[in-house]
Amino acid sequence: MLDRDSLGELFGKVGVGNQTMLGIMGNNRDVSVGEIFMIYSQRDGHERVFFFRVLGLENYLRQVDDMARVAGTLMVEGDSYLSGIERNMLLSVDGRMLGYAEETGEGWRFRSPRRLPDHLASVYRPIPGTSDKPVREMLSSQTDGSVRVGDLQIGEATLDVPVMIPTDKLPMHVGIFGSTGSGKSNLMMVLIKSIIDSNLDYLREHDSEHPRVSAFCIDPHDEFARGVDKYGIQSVIEAMDATTRADVIKDFYYLTTHKRATKREIKRYTKEIRVLWEEIRPRDLYSIMEFTPQMYSFIDSQFSRHQEEWVEKILNMTEDDTPEGTPKGTLKAVQRRLRFLERSPIFVESGSSILGEIFEAMETGRILVVNTSLMSDMEQFLLTTIVTRTLSDMRRALKSSGNLGDFVRQGEMRLPKPFFGKVKAQAKAFYGKGGVDDESPVRDPRELPVILVTVEEAPSILNPELMRGQSVFKDISRQGRKFNIGLLVVSQQVSVLDNVILSQMNTEVNLRLGNEREIRACIENASINISGFENEFRVMAQGEGIVTASYREMPLPVKIPLFDTVFERDKARYKAKGPPRKERTL
Amino acid sequence: MLEKILTDKFREILKLVFTDITNQQDRRDAEEFSKDEVRIKEHLLDVVEPYPPDTILDDDFLIAAVDGSGTDNLMLLDDIRVHLLSTATTVLDTNTRSEKLFDPISTKALEERLGGQPHLDVHWHSGVRNDAQKKMAETLESIYPLKDVVDIILPFFKDDSSGVISSVSGFTGTDYEKHLPELREMETLISRAQILTNPVVHDELRKVSEYAAARNVLTSDIRPKYLLLDGALSIFMHFVKKYPSMPSGFMLRELASLARKEGVVLCAVSKNHTIPFAHRIAKMAQDAFGEGTKWFCQLPCRDDPGGGLHITEDRTYIPPRLAVPYLFSFSQDNRPSRIDFDRVWWLENVFVRSDPVATRQNEKALFRDLEFMSRDARWYGYPVPLALAHEACKLSYEDLRLAREICKDVRHEIGLDTRKTEPLRADYNL
Repeated sequence: MLDRDSLGELFGKVGVGNQTMLGIMGNNRDVSVGEIFMIYSQRDGHERVFFFRVLGLENYLRQVDDMARVAGTLMVEGDSYLSGIERNMLLSVDGRMLGYAEETGEGWRFRSPRRLPDHLASVYRPIPGTSDKPVREMLSSQTDGSVRVGDLQIGEATLDVPVMIPTDKLPMHVGIFGSTGSGKSNLMMVLIKSIIDSNLDYLREHDSEHPRVSAFCIDPHDEFARGVDKYGIQSVIEAMDATTRADVIKDFYYLTTHKRATKREIKRYTKEIRVLWEEIRPRDLYSIMEFTPQMYSFIDSQFSRHQEEWVEKILNMTEDDTPEGTPKGTLKAVQRRLRFLERSPIFVESGSSILGEIFEAMETGRILVVNTSLMSDMEQFLLTTIVTRTLSDMRRALKSSGNLGDFVRQGEMRLPKPFFGKVKAQAKAFYGKGGVDDESPVRDPRELPVILVTVEEAPSILNPELMRGQSVFKDISRQGRKFNIGLLVVSQQVSVLDNVILSQMNTEVNLRLGNEREIRACIENASINISGFENEFRVMAQGEGIVTASYREMPLPVKIPLFDTVFERDKARYKAKGPPRKERTL
Repeated sequence: MLEKILTDKFREILKLVFTDITNQQDRRDAEEFSKDEVRIKEHLLDVVEPYPPDTILDDDFLIAAVDGSGTDNLMLLDDIRVHLLSTATTVLDTNTRSEKLFDPISTKALEERLGGQPHLDVHWHSGVRNDAQKKMAETLESIYPLKDVVDIILPFFKDDSSGVISSVSGFTGTDYEKHLPELREMETLISRAQILTNPVVHDELRKVSEYAAARNVLTSDIRPKYLLLDGALSIFMHFVKKYPSMPSGFMLRELASLARKEGVVLCAVSKNHTIPFAHRIAKMAQDAFGEGTKWFCQLPCRDDPGGGLHITEDRTYIPPRLAVPYLFSFSQDNRPSRIDFDRVWWLENVFVRSDPVATRQNEKALFRDLEFMSRDARWYGYPVPLALAHEACKLSYEDLRLAREICKDVRHEIGLDTRKTEPLRADYNL
């Protein structure tokens, strides 16, 4: 039997309602919308704890049918009082059933709301410090994982119940939705730190249940490394001893357009982003900008003819060089679209490319923070696309192969030859099982690190217009799971995202949203039913969110801790013999 | 039916009735009232001088209130009718020294002294000859805490005879002597046995239940300054025998006597009353004292200085025997209410012979307390202890429905036949 006192403070009794919505009559306490209550029920010998989320509050005075009349009398009759009113002052609380935990004999099992608590069941208000352990146990199937988003929020307070995303669910794509100032940057930093922590556990414990996670993290405001306030990812790197650091980031984690402009302490772990024209495929451009059918046809023909030199050839082409039948103006239009490559400091015609090192980092469970603050939108989108496409094509080649010999053939066919030539040996080492000769069998991509690619300002490239064409992201959103590659879609808006990506997204962190349309879109596209949470979104503060996931029954209100707070708490563990990660020991 | 109610013909019938009332009753009353107007305005009506809201009393005091509720139809088993009775007692502390004015004593503390709150009781009787009387006598005996019938009846005779009859031997030589055997048994105290309809039985049981609850307060260690009852301190007298026709009349006087002995002010407040021209008295008060002024007005009897009022001359129930009624209004939004005091107590504590000024001062002190306890915003103008007692005892439709369901369950549990609890006509959807 559960110790009911451990659930928290006895708040009230279940009054009316059904298996989805309940009305509770409770004590006159300072309850806020969004709080989570627990309802202890024992019906037919089944011990259950129902989780209930407050959506609406109303003052209720026993013995008063007309509150307005009483308020009026108090105003008009200045000498009036309310005798013994304290005990009659109650709070009528409406809210939604989130589900229930049931003791099965083998621990608690959480289920969707399909039952009703007992008549007049007691309602408990969780107390931080008292209720954490039972809530953690009851909600373990809803909160467990290895990438920590935040702590379970029970109103304005939080419980020591970490809300995590399981590593194996990351390739099913994650969405982070929130308006400016909702706390997206802090959340990204918390996620990056958590991924580092998870990888550290893997390295230290060789914990195969928590495989490594790689993340290619676009940082449009150059905040992640330095941090928003006191600490950033650089602080985590610096807190590591040399061995740990080498294990976790090797020799760099920060990518930027201009290394010279980087702060001195970060510069040590910095590489410049350079991608060769020859590493760009037509599809990369098709994924980020619109072309007419004539342009598609022209580009495809040039790519077919010149392969890796297609960009250079087109940019240097004159109208006279165009193939017969090319509509007039097509070349100019394509050149106009490609001209930004000529001006770009990162997309270069010749020199050395970073793409191979990105590939290596992503296949070895590392984090890359990519400062795109000095890039144009087009450069940022193209970089994201090239990286995503390259990584997915590598894994696709692997998935299509029986042994390394097959893989090489597939790789040469799918990827730019110069690039593949450079990474081939390394790729064989990563992908081969028990050797690197052509006959060696290959690994299943699911044994490799999960790769998470952030797509910042997602509506610019994940909109219905671009996704209708040959977008790289359309394939990834549908097939990423096979290759263990997931998208981390960051957006201020939900309503403008393409349905394909929204329908393939299985985890959403819904932060404060800007307007009613976005709130509606967010609720409609959540992986589980969160209808009725409109008021919640309206009153959400910075750093508060609701985590929804298709593989979970319960929408989880979450408070994302400040990065500085979690770093201060955990910094000792980055030393070689530091203490283990807190949430893993629970 | 509606098409008939909505016709002009129905309106014409109503017009005739109201015109008739105006022509006969109202005109007669108006004539009588005009004879009383000056006296009421100048001698009987006065303002309440309220305590300021932040007053701190030298001695905070307790006020107890009792109210009851019930139904004469908890269950009907052929011609056997089961009654349900509920009574509730509240006790409030003026508590002017803290911010929680009129703070109720907790239910737990009350239950320790008075038993379960609210108190529920069940009574039954059949339509068989004398059964109602016999069963009622049994129930009254069990309900009322004082068991000796002589002790119950004597206070009435003592008060009514101004102390001449103070024991059974005092009946010797009086008109009551021949009724002495009847006055010794509860069953024969019920001298209205011929008209024991269900509502009459129920009203009697309810009244006695409330008096019993009030008596429990008086015999407890609670010691309130005031004990408020709901209703009036009326006694229905036997026209021939000249004493109460029902035991409750005797019990009320026994209660009043005990209250005096304990130094408790017993009074009864009725929201619903039939005091004639109450609205005219209210208008008179408004004109004389200004809108919003809180006021009271004594309704004297023939023994009071100046005699009774013309408007109550033919209304034998006003003032009630051995009671002093007042009209009062503590809220301009509500119609005046009525309050009755025990006349014996009133003569001893309020009335000062040949000194109307001192009498008025006593009345003002009394109504100042009453007004102070009537400022709860939920029931502004009505004493809050009674309002809370009413809330505690009332039986809602849902309460009764559940009680009836439980009746069925209990019958089933003890192996009796289960019967429908709804009225028979419900079978025909009527």
